[in-house]
Amino acid sequence: MNIVVPVKLVPDLVEDLEIDESGITLDTSWLRLILNEVDEHALEQALLLKEAHGGTASVISLDGEGVDDVLFSSAAKGVDHLIKLTGLEFGDDLNNHAVARLYGAIVERLEPELVLIGVQAHNDLDGSLGPLLAEYVGMPYVGYVSGITVTDGKCRVLKEYPGGLIAEMDVVLPAVLGVQAAEAPPRYVAISRIRQAMKTVSLDEQAAADPDSGGGPTIDSMFKPETGERATMIAGDEEEVAAKIVDLLGELGKV
Amino acid sequence: MEYHTAKSIVVVVLLLVSLAVFGLRVYRLLGANLRRGQPNPPFGSWGERLWGVIKFVGGQWRLFRFPAPGIAHFIIFWGFLALVLTILQAIIEGLVAFSNPEFVLPVVGSFGPLALLQDLFATLVVVAVVYALHLRLIVRRQRFEGSHKAQAVMVLLFILAIVVSLQVIAGIRIEAGEDTLAVWRPIATAVGALFAGLSASAMEVIEETAYWTHLAVVLAFLTELPGGKHFHVVTSIPAVLLRNLDPPGRLPPAPEFDGEVGVSSIEQYRRRQMLDFYTCTECGRCQEVCPAHASGLPLSPKLLMMNLRDNLIQSGEARRDERRDGAVLEKELVGDVISDEVLWACVTCFACDQECPLFIEHVTPIVDMRRHLVMEGRMDGMLQEAMANLGRYGNSFGQSERSRAKWTRVIDGKVKDARREPVEYLWFVGDYASYNSAITDVTRTTAEVFRHAELDFGLMFDAERNAGNDVRRVGEEGLFEMLTEANTVALEKCEFQTIVTTDPHTYNVLKIEYPPEVIGQRSVLHYSELLDQMLSDGRLQLRRGLGYRVTYHDPCYLGRYNGVYDAPRRIIEATGCDLIEMPRSGDRALCCGAGGGRIWMEEGETGERPAIMRVKEAAALAGVDTLVVTCPKDLVMFRDAAKSSGYADRLAVRDLIELVAEAL
Ligand code: SF4
Ligand code: SF4
Repeated sequence: MNIVVPVKLVPDLVEDLEIDESGITLDTSWLRLILNEVDEHALEQALLLKEAHGGTASVISLDGEGVDDVLFSSAAKGVDHLIKLTGLEFGDDLNNHAVARLYGAIVERLEPELVLIGVQAHNDLDGSLGPLLAEYVGMPYVGYVSGITVTDGKCRVLKEYPGGLIAEMDVVLPAVLGVQAAEAPPRYVAISRIRQAMKTVSLDEQAAADPDSGGGPTIDSMFKPETGERATMIAGDEEEVAAKIVDLLGELGKV
Repeated sequence: MEYHTAKSIVVVVLLLVSLAVFGLRVYRLLGANLRRGQPNPPFGSWGERLWGVIKFVGGQWRLFRFPAPGIAHFIIFWGFLALVLTILQAIIEGLVAFSNPEFVLPVVGSFGPLALLQDLFATLVVVAVVYALHLRLIVRRQRFEGSHKAQAVMVLLFILAIVVSLQVIAGIRIEAGEDTLAVWRPIATAVGALFAGLSASAMEVIEETAYWTHLAVVLAFLTELPGGKHFHVVTSIPAVLLRNLDPPGRLPPAPEFDGEVGVSSIEQYRRRQMLDFYTCTECGRCQEVCPAHASGLPLSPKLLMMNLRDNLIQSGEARRDERRDGAVLEKELVGDVISDEVLWACVTCFACDQECPLFIEHVTPIVDMRRHLVMEGRMDGMLQEAMANLGRYGNSFGQSERSRAKWTRVIDGKVKDARREPVEYLWFVGDYASYNSAITDVTRTTAEVFRHAELDFGLMFDAERNAGNDVRRVGEEGLFEMLTEANTVALEKCEFQTIVTTDPHTYNVLKIEYPPEVIGQRSVLHYSELLDQMLSDGRLQLRRGLGYRVTYHDPCYLGRYNGVYDAPRRIIEATGCDLIEMPRSGDRALCCGAGGGRIWMEEGETGERPAIMRVKEAAALAGVDTLVVTCPKDLVMFRDAAKSSGYADRLAVRDLIELVAEAL
């Protein structure tokens, strides 16, 4: 079974986000990228399926700061094929429509049975990547998947619905699945394995085609969340804030 | 055939058979089995090594840390040596019985003072053995739990039989007037008197019975020796001779096999370590002091050694003879023989290594196996997250390195950036003191005291990374190297003379494990050492006597690992506090439970946590209301423990620097 995992790097929220002077995008000078959290689950699920059924696993990523680390650490975990699209980077003005088209072209060439992708990312301003990609490559899509069983070329998935409902459904392959959680927590890979991979594995670098953002919304302005009228912001250091919360809970009769 | 001729023949046969059995078993254990291990690094320092054998094997120095059992062992050991000649006499006597039944060894058989010594020792050994039996069978110390009791008792009874039979033989000879040294053997004379009045032939029968008993037990002991806990009689000398002489805070280089870091099978240990496994006497001293064991976690350093030894022996047997328990070979060393939970339970406090009378190492083999677990990704979620954070941000808190020095923002005036301007002291702050919001106040107090003393200090700000002490002990060697490299680059940019840190873990790794070219000739000081220096040369003066009754907790990586015990105590004294020691203080201090990366792991099923035991120990001291610590992690652990066990009102947990600041 051949599986492709297209991944996305998103702004790391440990740094404060600042808005660019233009007012329609993030200030990239402070931006630091991290692998989208659920993409780690998509990757883990791909590895689990590969271990169970054989075949190959490939990862596709656009270029950007930290991308090599992400790719080599997935190789250290067991991914066979690392594809890096060069010429464009995360953080450039690319919406998901554009990224989905770029990834779609590669997916079509690889002809996988399964495409596993993180179901969402915190910077999905124009819808999540999975359904867009599925549309461009003409495959069915199921999102919020938390379990995948493959038997005789058929695939049965568990899909989570809000409120704790879980549906079991059959999917015709090839398909794109938006993974919510892998069946096991993403594995740890020792730094020495990543370093080994850096020495022994090579990246398959492919030049990205011209991006096409068509179909996505246009952003007029971006701003930080504003305090709503009924919200009370608690100021102070940790101790003061904690003390005030305790008082408030007390007033509300919760403690 | 005449009796004496028959005696000679039987003695020869018995002797040959038991020597052959003994020789074969020793060959298999020390020859064939050890060859399976990895070569040792070169040893060197032979003077120090030999002195160690004299002091620790001959003098049994470490055994006296448990005084009464130590003395008993000392007596049995020296008694046995004193009696070896007598035992030899008995064997040779049997060998030559056909030609000279009255054979006496030259000198040994005619030197009065030696006879007296042997006579006295024989008696003392009996007393010591009875005491040891009492410990095993009646008192049943917790430390013996899991040891081979039957074997231990049997060997004690062997020793008893050997000594008693000797005295019976000697006594009867004295009674029969055959011993020219009778006056030198008062006890044997008394034993002989018991048989007074018996006929000569009856006495002869008793003497010969005692003789055969003696010989049989000596030879049984000899054949029983290899493989069990009493093999230490043979292996303790090479084990102590070849002991690790490196500072305890320096782990040996990580073993690597085909790119796989760590140890995953018994053959991957070095031969000297294998010797350790054989040498364990199952005395349980290590188990008794182990905080993980005390808190109900599945780790016992003693059982760890015993399991490693058993696996070494059994896998050797299975290799030799495939039909014999081939299942042993299927077992994974890491996982089946030693479980993941056992390995993750260790806080690397070094109490076990320090307590072992024979210098057996536990921390190193544990870390070696942890390295394999890390390679396999076998760790709990919290630890995994901490490692990922350390890899990404250089700290376990998962915060940006840019906020590492955020605590300085509320300090008046600028703190020097050591990367931009030369400083005398480079303050390596460490993760906890930098990021843990509950203790950054203490970090600021430290800065204020430094300022007050007009210390020329600076920080590396966002270029500092976790120094890697505990990362290394978790077994994440690659991450340790990565952190070391990042810190090295940063340190190279700075001009300074001395590194100071408040964190004993950071202190240990920078001082002991960082590549020598990074630190060079410059010294690494714990802040307690620096304050102590400043107090003695007058750079720092304390004006107020505080008058509190306090107790002090020695951090493992400051005390046991680096021998810094006095500096913090002198400072406490200088603040005018009364220092009352806890029952476990100095090198006996109980670990707070945070070391070796445990602070990053899920706690799991435990009984009472070490930190709580420690807080109770402190609170039980009459009139003591303050527990003084000199480690940021201790501050977190004990404050938390005091709160959760309800001692917070009675016992304040304070950093040494807070006392100093108050006394300024
Ligand atoms: S390792 Fe040392 S202290 Fe522990 S049981 Fe063995 S001999 Fe005793
Ligand atoms: S280092 Fe400490 S926790 Fe680990 S085995 Fe030894 S005594 Fe127990």
